[in-house]
Amino acid sequence: MISMLYFVVESMGSFCSRQQPLNEVDSDENKQAAEIDKRIDRETKAEQHIHKLLLLGAGESGKSTIFKQIRLLFQTGFDEAELRSYTSVIHANVYQTIKILYDGAKELAENEPNSLKYVVRTDNKEIGENLSEIGSRMESPCLTKEIAKEIATLWNDTAIQETYSHGNILQVPDCAQYFMENLERFSEVNYIPTKEDVLHARVRTTGVVEIQFSPVGESRKSGEVYRLYDVGGQRNERRKWIHLFEGVTSVIFCAAISEYDQMLFEDDTKNRMMETKELFEWVLKQSCFEKSSFMLFLNKFDIFEKKVHRVPLNVCEWFKDYQPMGSGKQEVEHAYEFVKKKFEELYFQNSKPDCVDRAFKIYRTTALDQKLVKKTFKLVDETLRRRNLIEAGLL
Amino acid sequence: MPQYQQQASWRLEGGGQVIDLETAVKDGILGGGESGGGLPAGKDGSFGASAEKLDLKKMIEELDSAAEEDVPSVFICPISLEPMVDPVTLCTGQTYERVHILKWFSLGHLTCPTTMQELWDDAVTPNQTLHQLIHAWFSQRYLRLKKRSEDVQGRTAELVKTLRKVKGQARVQALKDLQKILAAHPAVKKTVADSGGVALLSSLLGPFTSHAVGSEVIAILVNLSLDSDAKASLMQPAKISLVVDMLNEGTIDTKINCTRFIEMLMEEKSFRSEVVTRLSLLVALLRLVKDKRHPNGIVAGLSLLKAICFHEQVRSLIVSIGAVPQLVELLPNLTAECLELALHILDDLSTIAGGCSALKDCAQTIPNAVRLLMRVSEACTQYALSILWAVCKLAPDECAPLAVEAGLAAKLLLVIQSGYSPELKQRAAELLKLCSLNYTTTLFISKCKLTRTIQ
Repeated sequence: MISMLYFVVESMGSFCSRQQPLNEVDSDENKQAAEIDKRIDRETKAEQHIHKLLLLGAGESGKSTIFKQIRLLFQTGFDEAELRSYTSVIHANVYQTIKILYDGAKELAENEPNSLKYVVRTDNKEIGENLSEIGSRMESPCLTKEIAKEIATLWNDTAIQETYSHGNILQVPDCAQYFMENLERFSEVNYIPTKEDVLHARVRTTGVVEIQFSPVGESRKSGEVYRLYDVGGQRNERRKWIHLFEGVTSVIFCAAISEYDQMLFEDDTKNRMMETKELFEWVLKQSCFEKSSFMLFLNKFDIFEKKVHRVPLNVCEWFKDYQPMGSGKQEVEHAYEFVKKKFEELYFQNSKPDCVDRAFKIYRTTALDQKLVKKTFKLVDETLRRRNLIEAGLL
Repeated sequence: MPQYQQQASWRLEGGGQVIDLETAVKDGILGGGESGGGLPAGKDGSFGASAEKLDLKKMIEELDSAAEEDVPSVFICPISLEPMVDPVTLCTGQTYERVHILKWFSLGHLTCPTTMQELWDDAVTPNQTLHQLIHAWFSQRYLRLKKRSEDVQGRTAELVKTLRKVKGQARVQALKDLQKILAAHPAVKKTVADSGGVALLSSLLGPFTSHAVGSEVIAILVNLSLDSDAKASLMQPAKISLVVDMLNEGTIDTKINCTRFIEMLMEEKSFRSEVVTRLSLLVALLRLVKDKRHPNGIVAGLSLLKAICFHEQVRSLIVSIGAVPQLVELLPNLTAECLELALHILDDLSTIAGGCSALKDCAQTIPNAVRLLMRVSEACTQYALSILWAVCKLAPDECAPLAVEAGLAAKLLLVIQSGYSPELKQRAAELLKLCSLNYTTTLFISKCKLTRTIQ
């Protein structure tokens, strides 16, 4: 719409400055108006063929990672300049991570009954204090080889390792391990982040970002055109702007199912899974999405897989009626099915009866795995295309 | 006078196919052709060689079940109307199956059955030529059938092998081809099972299976006979999720296949009700059942819903999605077969508290149920009565009057006077008593009168 308004304003401006006899002005004015109408018509029609997808979900549910993956899969990916632009982000992430771990260890040492295991070795304490200070600065320094070595030393301290394994009550990011394992590479002088690094990098999304793409399949001449919107996930004034997305083809709601034992960044007394539950309910009730399909991405399955064995689902209030069954892979599947059923229940409880025809599908995803995201998106694409055909009465 | 028509020309007319003797000799059933004429050795007048006779009998049987072509009428015995294995000719020139004409004679008749002429000679002459023709005709077609069936089996095995290797569009095409063969030649089910096809098909179903592949696989699986192991592996949650998705989104044929598939799995002993305790499945079934454009979908959906209702644990979930009022409102438009299913479901649901109150709350329950008494079948009457009983028991003050106003009393009288089972009649009597409690005798009797509308 904005581009069209611009056009109108432009042409009006040029029109006003012309000096012409009155009758000519008249017919010119009509011609211009007709042109504008035609162009608005064309662009509106073109817009209608673009499927708009809206990524929603709580903070750190993986929305932006999915966004990046789509870029990598269906657009030209990241060029070198853009990759380089992530270097400082990754360095900052490293500092933030180690700070959280060190500060967290101190906190646990003070408050936990078994405090001794959280006490960092004396010779590492100075390193820890130093890094903690760096991490709290607005601008992080570049990651040099020396600092990287110090971070590595601290990371290997048993207290820090112990803290990491109890990371759920702190705000330890999920990719902490990835960052710590690649310190050497990150601190190279000519370090250029890889695609994998960029996928792991964490920047809080502010505002709205969008990309337009066309997933061309194996046997299709021209694919459908999609436009994907990513909005920030934190609790800000969501309700004020959500209606701008009225009539999107599909809402892709990302829920990180591995978060059932973690607290919010904005409010560390609130369980993240409960927040996701409430957000999902809220989104379902919005009248602007009455006609949109809902694709639920149950994300971070890889972390979920491992966590299920260690931390029972019941720690989350929503899942308190879970009964573990089986072991190994069977247990994972059973737990996953349970979570899925919970979300399904939530969906049906919060959908009005006349929204019954809305498509609702649940996908298991691991946003960092490009192959999986590609497969998942293929299925989403198939569903949306079939919907189109059904609506046009062709199926 | 015999009504016997002389054939003017040497043309044999067999079924829709005219076997001109010249053509027959040249490249028809005798000589030439892919399998030759199959002229048997030992044409010394007796077809006594039992091996040969058995062959012919066997071929006739197998071709009969394949039922592909009409047997030429000249090969048919006028007495048994079956192809002749041992044709013998009478002095009138008519040919019959030896066994049957001898039986005719033994009953004391000395006439030719078709011409009604009296026989001047009771000898029966073996008709060698006809026998050879019959044998040749059947042999040719038998061999062709065998070859085709081998071909089909070969093709099927090939397809299964292909399926192991290909992906994408090629996979979808191979599945479509396999389904076509199965539909045309049901006997290849065994070939598919023998070449590990079932396990292969099962492995193609998973969380990342596309709709195109999934719908073809299900279409094939419903037509195979699956053993317990296969069914057990198909009950994995991820596979069931896929089937439920297809039930939601597919074409009507896919939806029907999915319902039949799930019903098949439910027959298995190791089946656990958790598999079908899924909101998305139940919602999809309800949608299917309400789709008036596709009557076979309604039957399929109701049939599965009934099977699911059998498991008590799922009943409350079914009630929670509002199935009761939706089913009740459907009742007036259903066929007899569907009515029985729908009423059975509602009857099952009435056994739980939520179901019963949902029935009571729906305004159409009582009128629809009363209308259906004595209308369709004993089973329908039984279920409708049971539903009315449950509702009236739950809230007698509220429901009994409504029921009586809808003409229940007269209908109950009909039930009591009917030839239905004693338990049913007993139930009807009890319900009648319950409903009459709030009325004076005279008033109630007036309500029992059959008016035109109730009839």
